[in-house]
Amino acid sequence: MSFTPLFPGMLLDAAARFAQDNENTRDFGDADPVREMGWTCTLVPEDAGGVGGTLDDLASIVVGLASHGVHLPVVETCAVAPLLLQAANAETATRWLEAVCEGSAKIAPLTSLSASLDDIAVGAKHLDIGYAFTGEVKGVDVSLAATHWLVPARLQGSGETALFLVDLEHLPAPSATYRTMEGRRSADFRLDGVTVPALACIARGAAADAALERADNAALLLTAADTVAALTTLIEQTVRHLQERRQFGVALATFQVLRHRTADMYVRYLCAKGLMLHAFQEHARGAANLRRTLRLMKVALAETARLCAEGAIQMHGGMGVSEEVLATRMAQRLLASEFRYGDRMTHASQLLYPPTESAATEAAVAPARGMSPAARSSS
Amino acid sequence: MSNDDTHGAEGAGADPYADFRRELAEFARSACPAEIRAVVAAGQKVTKREYLGWQQILTARGWGAPSWPTEHGGTGWDIMQRLIFEETMAEADCPPLYHHGLGHIGPVIIRFGTPEQKARFLPRILDGSDWWCQGYSEPGSGSDLASLSTSARLDGDEYVINGQKIWTSHAHEANMIYMLVRTSKEAKKQDGISLILVPMDTPGITVRPIRSIDGWHHLNEVFFDEVRVRADNLIGEVGKGWTCAKFLLERERLPPANVARLELVRRQVTRVVEEAARAAAGKRDFSSLRYRLLLAEADVKGARVLLANATDDLKNQRPLGVQPSVIKLMCSDVAQRLTTIALDAVGPDAAHRFLVDEGEGEPGATWVQNYLFTRARTIAGGTSEVQRNVVANELLGA
Repeated sequence: MSFTPLFPGMLLDAAARFAQDNENTRDFGDADPVREMGWTCTLVPEDAGGVGGTLDDLASIVVGLASHGVHLPVVETCAVAPLLLQAANAETATRWLEAVCEGSAKIAPLTSLSASLDDIAVGAKHLDIGYAFTGEVKGVDVSLAATHWLVPARLQGSGETALFLVDLEHLPAPSATYRTMEGRRSADFRLDGVTVPALACIARGAAADAALERADNAALLLTAADTVAALTTLIEQTVRHLQERRQFGVALATFQVLRHRTADMYVRYLCAKGLMLHAFQEHARGAANLRRTLRLMKVALAETARLCAEGAIQMHGGMGVSEEVLATRMAQRLLASEFRYGDRMTHASQLLYPPTESAATEAAVAPARGMSPAARSSS
Repeated sequence: MSNDDTHGAEGAGADPYADFRRELAEFARSACPAEIRAVVAAGQKVTKREYLGWQQILTARGWGAPSWPTEHGGTGWDIMQRLIFEETMAEADCPPLYHHGLGHIGPVIIRFGTPEQKARFLPRILDGSDWWCQGYSEPGSGSDLASLSTSARLDGDEYVINGQKIWTSHAHEANMIYMLVRTSKEAKKQDGISLILVPMDTPGITVRPIRSIDGWHHLNEVFFDEVRVRADNLIGEVGKGWTCAKFLLERERLPPANVARLELVRRQVTRVVEEAARAAAGKRDFSSLRYRLLLAEADVKGARVLLANATDDLKNQRPLGVQPSVIKLMCSDVAQRLTTIALDAVGPDAAHRFLVDEGEGEPGATWVQNYLFTRARTIAGGTSEVQRNVVANELLGA
């Protein structure tokens, strides 16, 4: 059977075609397909030279890539970065967004892939001539070269959130580099002692908090779209394997235990898809309880992703543990996505034990690693 | 389903049903008696008293049969309005509609009955004068229903019925039964089956209660010994009862009530867990139950989208495919998980006083009973194994 496409349209077709052509590309080296394809302009408003698209448009691109197992930091460079830039005053924001669209600036967030964006790891101390950073950011996506980094930080003293746009030359080399679970490149950055000019601070206070929340919402939604797309391919591949692989003289698809396990995966997949689309619709209409829905979705999708990933690996037998098999790479992708932008335990904790006002205040005055009151109240 | 999918109860933008929803909600809160709503809100077993009381109020308002056409006293609502009706009523803790008359045999009579049969039976379903039960399953015919053997032979202008039905919910309080009987033996087992309506006070009918695991009495065995019923009680063509049965199944493949009631159960169980946590005063850890409640809440939201989209497909006459099986699997699973959470919450307090002597349970044991009752959700109406077969056939080929 064929699955109805998620977020259909020309953007999906283009992304899927690109992904199909690059299905076996694990590392794009010095190439920058995200910017070459113009995807960074998707969310940028038209008056800043962008496309003025919606999150659905960006989801089409995410889905197109995920369906074929291609890893590119679309969420970070096309959603998080432009949404954070929009926290700056209009003139600054427009200038930098135009640079993003023209390709003269390659801007990426210096944030941990695994943490919610409002879980800030960097402290910033105001000096006479600028700011000095403290703290370490772990697991930053470095798949593509950046010319500038967006650094969320907590201002010492006031406890306010601030956003810094920092030239590459101001940052140290990574203290460690890694390959992520599914094959992206990541790095840790130790920022103690790093100083930046005062102008690097492009937003602070409520504007910065609101931008971080918007970007975090987008990241959660797009990661969910990635997960549902990966689930689609995972199930398609598993079905194909069961139909083609023969053991004991018959196709694996004839064994009822495997048929039922596949049916269970499919039911969970459809429920995850329904929940994801519901969350996109809540986002589009600005629903008051969007944050709660996003957290619920994160928890539920993690459960579904784990169940389906493990099911597909098991049903592929020995092949299920080989990275050469697309279903296995999808399983890796699903498992890795569980831990993007807050894992299920983080989000469950926020749902079950919303922080009290006093705890929120304490966190706000702490130098880093705390959510701002604005972010908390929206949980 | 697509991203520009704005259809169904999920649609973005102005809700064309907003006024309708508001009108229903106001009526539900003002017209449904508090004592009836209290039973529903507490998750207690809804009996004929609550069903009938609410049915008569709805009928007086003209809303007694949401799924029927207007010429037979129905509302003529579209499928989306029916979904909204179910959601709104569940939100206000109103009882569900009694399904055997309004949801099952009523629509079959409307589709297959003669004008005389429609005039004779439909008004009495609508006002609750007739209380129906369903005679389908037999001791040897469960999932394989077409193998049924209860017989009806024509004798003059009467049919004479012999055989046995089992798992017959409400037979002890119903005054009518619609049943599948074998009127002839054909090569194909689905042929030769007829659908016939029988008054329960006909001589030769014996109802024996089956005490089910939940401690309630709702299941029965029904024995038919030379039961004579007028021949014009047979619905549709002789030997074509399977067509009626399939029509009923098709109609009921998307019961809008299922998801709406799940959200009600989720709210109830959340309350049960919080009350149990307060009573435990820190001696028991409820974090795992609360986590499971989150997963159930997410699944109810997901199921609602699946139902809304399937409903829209139905409204626009697009094929439903395996959606009904998927929704049945989802809803029955979530219902069981929810009542399991409630059982875990109240078990230590309620399990040892499951039933009072000479009683049908007490409030403390309601959620033990609900847990046990809900075991049937994955069995009745097509087992989960049968539903998985349906889904797997679509995915992997038969």
